[in-house]
Amino acid sequence: MIIIPNSIATAVPRSSPAVVLTALGLAAAGCLLAALCVGHPVLAPGTAVAALLDPDHPQRVTVGEVRLPRAVLGAVAGGGLGLSGLLLQDALRNPIAGPELLGVSSGAAVVVATIVVLGLGVPLALQPWLALAGALVAGAGVLLAMGRTRAPDHVVLVGAAVSAACGGLVVAVVGLGTQGNVVVLFRYLMGSLAARGWSHVATVAPLVAAGILVAWLIRRRVEALTLGDEVAAGLGVAVARTRVLAVGTAALLAAAVASACGPVAWVALLAPHLARRLTGSASTRRALAPTLAVGGLLLMAADLGARRLLYPVEVPVGIVTTLVGVPALLLLRPTGRPR
Amino acid sequence: MTGRTTTRRAGAVVAGGLLAGLLLVLAHLLVGRSELPPGEVLRALVGRASEPVYEVIVLDYRLPRVLVGLGAGALLAVSGVLVQAVVRNPLAEPATTGVGAGAALAVTAALVLWPGRPLAYPAALVGALATGAVLYAVGRRSLAVAGVLLGAVLAAMTSLLLVVDSAPIGVVLRWLVGSLNARTPHDWALLWPWVAVLLPVAWLLASRLNAWALGDAVAVGLGLRARPLVAVVLLVAVGAAAAAIAAAGAVAFVGLVAPHVARLWVGADHRRLVPVSAVLGALLLSLADLVAFSVTIRLPGVAPDVSGVPVGAVTALLGAPVLISLIRRESRP
Repeated sequence: MIIIPNSIATAVPRSSPAVVLTALGLAAAGCLLAALCVGHPVLAPGTAVAALLDPDHPQRVTVGEVRLPRAVLGAVAGGGLGLSGLLLQDALRNPIAGPELLGVSSGAAVVVATIVVLGLGVPLALQPWLALAGALVAGAGVLLAMGRTRAPDHVVLVGAAVSAACGGLVVAVVGLGTQGNVVVLFRYLMGSLAARGWSHVATVAPLVAAGILVAWLIRRRVEALTLGDEVAAGLGVAVARTRVLAVGTAALLAAAVASACGPVAWVALLAPHLARRLTGSASTRRALAPTLAVGGLLLMAADLGARRLLYPVEVPVGIVTTLVGVPALLLLRPTGRPR
Repeated sequence: MTGRTTTRRAGAVVAGGLLAGLLLVLAHLLVGRSELPPGEVLRALVGRASEPVYEVIVLDYRLPRVLVGLGAGALLAVSGVLVQAVVRNPLAEPATTGVGAGAALAVTAALVLWPGRPLAYPAALVGALATGAVLYAVGRRSLAVAGVLLGAVLAAMTSLLLVVDSAPIGVVLRWLVGSLNARTPHDWALLWPWVAVLLPVAWLLASRLNAWALGDAVAVGLGLRARPLVAVVLLVAVGAAAAAIAAAGAVAFVGLVAPHVARLWVGADHRRLVPVSAVLGALLLSLADLVAFSVTIRLPGVAPDVSGVPVGAVTALLGAPVLISLIRRESRP
């Protein structure tokens, strides 16, 4: 058992995690309700809830089969992305590490691009799984390319290289495509929650749940890594193994999300920083639950914004997360070490 | 490695590079969809081909394409050297400054606002230079991080424009990755003054960059004024990237890989690094273009003039393994 003194991990005064989580939960509930009401037609909150509960309601399909799964997918995927970012940032000791740098998003993109552009007759239900396979192949490629080095900077760089190579493949495939396909692909490449249903939730949720479980099990070891490799080793942590496990879990989470929603940007990077700011604690363990909540809330709210921003045109949610995420990141100034 | 051997090696690399460049130009002139006899290609070069159409093919299509590739590659590589020097980060490259994203936004805006007008080149130039100015204004202490973030925001704005009007999506996507398809003598004429001016200027800055590389304190001790130097180097770097990107699109990795390979061969002295990188970048881009074009003409049903595999896809696929091996070499104990 590794015991990390609280005095190291928490240098700043913090609000009670329970208060923060309650506030986040309330905000998420409000966001969910808004997601059910907004759209065409706009429903009053009471009507939306009634439609959800009454199987014979005229708006039952709109609310229960279109709006609700989309909002739930946003919450689950956002939480998964946030957790992915938290694991990466702490395991690699790099405050600006995100799953974009692991190649997983672009690995999924290559598969989806190939299917969409070349018009392969792949059943719709199979697509997320193929995308997941592509993401995991790219993630494994990054882990293999790292070889024996586990130096944080090098991991990030190898990831950037694999991402760029996958990006090249995507464009090479696009080069063969026709105009109509390219528009569909473009929306996917930005990250989008449009036209997603319960089947997408069913694909992503179990994987995110598994990721949460692993993250929970290794939370103390990952936190030890943030103190430096020597200190972590001194505390009895198997440094290299823990880092591979954390990065692998982060890759799985990001791959799961990318397979269903495309490579949504900045949520993974931003959620852990916001969660830490809210709880006033740098500790990995304490950030775990708030990061999940912040990530879910972020993506749900961004999707709401994406639906309304240029209404009736729907904007890919990844554009909103970028336009919101980058200024937020600049305000938070996580350019130095996170602790 | 002593100074004299590396100088000699730099000379050898430049000389070998010029020879390789000549061979590349020949290869480019000989490869194409219409098969010309080698003799006709050479005769077309001096204006004595037996059919006028041969001269059109060679002088108006094949030659501009390889010349644009060589020029843009050299500019990208030199821009990479300068950016890496000024942010003191060996993994920075022109894309790190966000100028490619700025150029893309401007090109997209031009295509959306004035469809059909040939405004892509001036728009790319203006967009890239404006991004460079914004970067200098907001960058202050951490240019690299500011550039990456700026690039992300600009890319998102480009996407937003494409959501509003998706007509230019094919052109923009192709342009974002970099393509040398369908270059004309016009493109080459727009590019060569930048090559002729910026490469010598970059070389003149080399000894100051050497001092700058030693750190702020040493640089000041040597009489270097930091802010003007950063401004000038950034201006040259952005100008080089802007001209290359306007001509060839936002090609990845050339600006990163060429300086790295150059550093491996001739060391960190910028007086050697600048010319050697320029030669390597030129060779890299036009070689990648030859690969891209050769792949395309083997793909059935793809017209290589307007679509096919863009050169940026090839540089990314070739560049990534090089970068990974560089990192692994660097991290070997």
